[in-house]
Amino acid sequence: MTRLEKAQYAINSLGKGRGVALSALSLLVVTLLYLLAVLSVPLHSPQKLVWLAIYPVIQSEASGLGFGFILKKSLWLIPLLLLIGIFNPILNNATAFTIGGFAISEGWVSCLSILIRGLLALQAALILTYSVGFYDVCHSLRHLGCPKILIVQLMFTYRYMGLIVEEAINMDRARKARGFGRKNYPLSMWGRMVGQLLIRSYDRAGSIHRAMLARGFTGNMPAGKAHNLDKRSIAFIFAWSVVIAILRFADLSGVINHLLVR
Amino acid sequence: MSHHYLEFKNVSFSYPESGEVLHDVSFRINHGENVALLGLNGSGKSTLLLLTNGLLMPTTGRIIVGDIPVTKNTFPIIRQTVGMEFQNSDDMLFMPTIEEDVAFGPRNMKLPEDEVSRRVTASLEAVGMSGFEKRPAFSLSGGQRRAAAIASVMAMEPSILVLDEPTSNLDILARKKLIDLLAGFRHSILLATHDLDMARELCPRSILLSSGRVVADGPTDEVIDVYIPTALKSRR
Repeated sequence: MTRLEKAQYAINSLGKGRGVALSALSLLVVTLLYLLAVLSVPLHSPQKLVWLAIYPVIQSEASGLGFGFILKKSLWLIPLLLLIGIFNPILNNATAFTIGGFAISEGWVSCLSILIRGLLALQAALILTYSVGFYDVCHSLRHLGCPKILIVQLMFTYRYMGLIVEEAINMDRARKARGFGRKNYPLSMWGRMVGQLLIRSYDRAGSIHRAMLARGFTGNMPAGKAHNLDKRSIAFIFAWSVVIAILRFADLSGVINHLLVR
Repeated sequence: MSHHYLEFKNVSFSYPESGEVLHDVSFRINHGENVALLGLNGSGKSTLLLLTNGLLMPTTGRIIVGDIPVTKNTFPIIRQTVGMEFQNSDDMLFMPTIEEDVAFGPRNMKLPEDEVSRRVTASLEAVGMSGFEKRPAFSLSGGQRRAAAIASVMAMEPSILVLDEPTSNLDILARKKLIDLLAGFRHSILLATHDLDMARELCPRSILLSSGRVVADGPTDEVIDVYIPTALKSRR
C-alpha cells in the first residue's frame, strides 16, 4: 500500500466513523464543553491541563478507538504547536519557578501549556470524528445552529480532499507504470504534475457536482439519522459535564496532596 | 403514469469553447419505451443526456418531461422524474458508505427515514448489492460500483431512466446482470451506448446521432444494420 493509498483509506474512515452507539450530537456537545474547559485554563497553569487529559484517555477507550491510536494521530500536530509556542521563552524570560537550581521561565511554561492544550484539543476532535464520522459531526453542528454555508463548505472540503488523493493515486500509478523505477524527475515536471492534478480534480469535482444535482441536491447535505437527544445521550452529556467541571475547577492536586500528607 | 414522456423540440446546444454540439434535435420517447442513443464518440450523446435532466440547458428549443418543461423552476420535479446514471460511476458515489450514497437522492426528496430505508434496501437488492451497505465505494470492484450507482438512481424511483454507457468497464457476467435488471424496469429508458448487442436486446427503438444531428430514428435492428454502416461510410 502506498502512502497515498493509506491517506485515501484514512480519509474514508474519517468520514464513516466507527459506528459507536452514541448519538453524534451528544458527543459533539461533550467535545465542545471539553474544548471550552481546555481553552479556559490560564497559560501559566499547565498542571491543570494534565487532569483534563483524563477525558481523551477514557473516551477513546470507551469508543473502541484506543488511546494509543489517538495519541499517535495527534503527535503530528507537535511541530505546528511548537512553531506557535517557541517564541514565548524568548519573549518572556521572567522566572516562573526553579527546579534543582535551574530557573524555568514563564515563557517555557506557556510554551508547554500551548503544546498540551493543542494536543488535548486535537485528541478530543479526533475522538469525535473517528467515533461518529465527519458527516455526522457536520450534521450535528448544523443541528446546533452552525450556518448552513459553513457546514456545506466543510463537507465539500472533506470530499475534495478525498478526491484530490484519488486523482493523485491515479496519476501516481500512471507515472509508475511508465516510469521504470525512475524517481529523480526534474522539479519542473513535478510542478506540471501538480498543475495537472488540480485541473483533473477540478474536472472531477464538476462531474460529482453534476451527479449530486441530478439527485436533487439543492445546497443542503441531507442528514441521515435523527439528531435528537434521547435519555441515554442526555445522561452521557450530564455525566461528562460534571466530570469535566470537576477536572477543570476542582483543585485535585491539592486534594490528593492533602490525602497523602494526612 | 402515461404522462411521463420525454420530448425534445428543436433542441440545439453550444458549449462556449467548442461551438454547437447539438443541432435542431427533435424526438419523443413515450412512457414505457426503451430507446438506445447511438453514435460515435463526440457525436453529442452525453450532452444530450445531460440536457434531459436540466444539468445543461438548451441554447434553443424546448425539452418537456411529462407535460413539464425543463426550466430552473422545475428542476426538483424533473430530477425526481428523470433518474440519471453517469458514464463514470465513481462520480456518483461520493458519500462515505454505499448505503448513504443510495439514500442521498431519496433524502433530498425529503422522504421519511423509514421510506428512505425501504428504498435503499429494495434498490440494493435489485442490483444484487445487499450486504454492501456499510462498504465505502473505493473498496468495490468496477462492476459493483456500477451496480451501486444504478441503485442510487433506482432508489429515487424515477419514471425515466437515463444511462450513459452503462456497460462500460463491466465483465460479461456483470453486463448480463445489468441487462436483466434494466429489462425489468417498468418505465422508460434512454441509454447512450456503444454496446450494440445490448441496444438490440433491450431497446426496440434507437436514435442515431452524428455530429450532433439525429440521422436516424427507428427500429434498432434497422438503425444498426442500415444507418450505422452508411454513417460510417460517410465519415471515412
